[in-house]
Amino acid sequence: MNKRGMNRRQVIGGAVGLATLAGGAKRARAAGPVQMVSHRYPALEYYAEKMKTAVPGTTVNTQLMPFDKAHELVTIAMSSKSDNIDLFYANDSTFLTYVKNGWLRPLDDLWAKYKQEFQLDDMVDTMMKTYTYNGRLYLVPHTMNSMLLFYRKDVFDQAGKKPPTTIAEYQALAKSFNTPLRAGTIDCLKPVDAGLNEAHWYMNALADGWFDKDWKPIFNSPRGVQAIEALKETTRYAQQGFTTAANDECTIALQQDIAVMGLQWATRAKSMDDPAKSRVVGKIEWAPPPQGKARIASDGYGISAFSKQDPDTLFRILATSSNQTNMRGAASLLVPPRRSLLTDPELKAQNRFYPAALAAIDTGLAFPALPEFYSVGEFITRRVLQAVTGEMPVKAAMDAAATETENFLKGRGYYK
Amino acid sequence: MAALAAPTLARRRLKTALHGRLWPFLVPSGLVIGCVLLYPLGYALYLSLFRYELGTNTQEFIFLGNYSALLQEARFWESLARTTGIVLSAVGLEFSLGLAIAYGLYRLTYGVRVFNMLLFLPHIVTPVVAALFLRWIFMGRWGLLSAGLLGLGFFPPDFLGNPFWARITVVLADAWQFTPFMILVLYAGLNTVDQSQIEAAQIDGAGIWTLLFHIMLPAIRPLIVFVLAIRIMDAFRFFDQIYVLTSGGPGTATETITMYTYALAFRLLEIGKASALGVLTLIVSASLIALMIAAIYWRERERI
Repeated sequence: MNKRGMNRRQVIGGAVGLATLAGGAKRARAAGPVQMVSHRYPALEYYAEKMKTAVPGTTVNTQLMPFDKAHELVTIAMSSKSDNIDLFYANDSTFLTYVKNGWLRPLDDLWAKYKQEFQLDDMVDTMMKTYTYNGRLYLVPHTMNSMLLFYRKDVFDQAGKKPPTTIAEYQALAKSFNTPLRAGTIDCLKPVDAGLNEAHWYMNALADGWFDKDWKPIFNSPRGVQAIEALKETTRYAQQGFTTAANDECTIALQQDIAVMGLQWATRAKSMDDPAKSRVVGKIEWAPPPQGKARIASDGYGISAFSKQDPDTLFRILATSSNQTNMRGAASLLVPPRRSLLTDPELKAQNRFYPAALAAIDTGLAFPALPEFYSVGEFITRRVLQAVTGEMPVKAAMDAAATETENFLKGRGYYK
Repeated sequence: MAALAAPTLARRRLKTALHGRLWPFLVPSGLVIGCVLLYPLGYALYLSLFRYELGTNTQEFIFLGNYSALLQEARFWESLARTTGIVLSAVGLEFSLGLAIAYGLYRLTYGVRVFNMLLFLPHIVTPVVAALFLRWIFMGRWGLLSAGLLGLGFFPPDFLGNPFWARITVVLADAWQFTPFMILVLYAGLNTVDQSQIEAAQIDGAGIWTLLFHIMLPAIRPLIVFVLAIRIMDAFRFFDQIYVLTSGGPGTATETITMYTYALAFRLLEIGKASALGVLTLIVSASLIALMIAAIYWRERERI
């Protein structure tokens, strides 16, 4: 009996101990390192480093990964209301999904509080509008980005050609430059993000875009089908593996002299001149995408609505990483969303791609402001690839994508 | 009669008493299996009965609605057919290669351990890491294989970008990683065959192939069933390598049923439907294994 009583006490003691430990663990989590999840490219790697030292005494753990994976990780964590991620990356398109689902904390109070300290008025107005939803601000801007035409100046000069101004010219040049060992163009059609970027240009430059004003798909209209036919034609001169290529693979194709030209993000421009990575240092030039209407985007960071960390500390991390000094340091890797830097003549002179990037921003077009665009992008990119690889006729593929998109959006409460 | 029944009864009582004392030993493993296997399975079954979409606060009971929607979808049937094709090709290749190498090792007189260890190395590598290695090998133009072929004067096919080659590549990738498992199990099995049977066959003039197909393989049939069942179950969950190598593309050329489940869950955020697809995958792979077992033991049953 005595022994049994002792066991019971031990069990109760153990349970109390565990509860105490669990409570302690929760407290420790609240005061523990800040967890940040982000997409990865050179400019964001730079910002991640700045975040680590932004607030003395606060440890910031950063996890950087390709776009689709970061988006999936944030979706999984936030939909389960997990407090394991405190800060996360969003762009002009994914931020809409996150806000609609209540995963981002509004930043208006913190923005007003720290406006002077971090010169937040210096941020470009269009960026502030982009990150505002129903009158509330949700992200701290870090980059502006646009797709540019990257082209081999030496190859063009040798052939006596100038950068194309229309997609038809672009295709003709791709065809003329195409050889077995060096593709005429790069194409990046890996689902979902990269594939959507590429198709977005054709769909807007040659047709009327993705949706009408009621979010009904129009990408299967005769002009939409023609646009994808044009994309299919271009892929005849693309590098090997274009169906599974995203930005990294396309950047490598240009750096390694495997392709002559193609559309790629401005944030990848500087890496063309990095002798450690590139075989074409000084040979690449940039121009705005032919016919314009290629994708423009912006990147920023927000605070999780479920974070247990001190919001002031989290905001200071974001604001410090994107302050004027830090953004100036990253200016060669991105188009800075601060007016003072955009108009700085010294920066313009240092970064050869700035004129093309600024022109591309003027003529570019963001993704549709549809929170479910990445979800329906799953249907669209799959069908576009089926069309491009000849698994399906283009018209049938786009009709199928339109039906799938419409059914999906109907299920999400559209068209009532 | 009573005298005969008494020892049986005593034995039964002893057995019951023994079981009564031994069952607590099963509790830890039972708890682990319950937590990591039965609970998630039960939860997936439960979720599969709901229209549950992440981020929309929708959780509506629709009973078998997700199942009927899936069964009416062309994408489900296409991905199922593709999965079956990839699984049968990959497991068939692994078994044939595994058996050939295991028999070679069996007949080898020295160096078996070294060969065995070296051959097993690909199986130790984590599938995702292995897929990353393979991606850099099969990548167009600057991949190791393409660059090697170009160096030899051959223009390589687009291993990951062409639908035909992409299917071949994912089958080869799976075979590269899992053939060592086949070799190990089959080699162990071949070594268990009764030596006297082999000697008797040899005296009767059986050659090496007769020995293999008429003496050794029938003797290790239960092991073959085991290893094929394990691999088929595993291959039906084929995901990591396809995700890294082709992401299910180009187009839908390598979209298996698990890739479709992944797209439903993490891209379209339709958790209920994804759970239903997971349950259907379980049913299909279990049925396939049951069919395979029935086919392998068919003749034996007929003989009895």
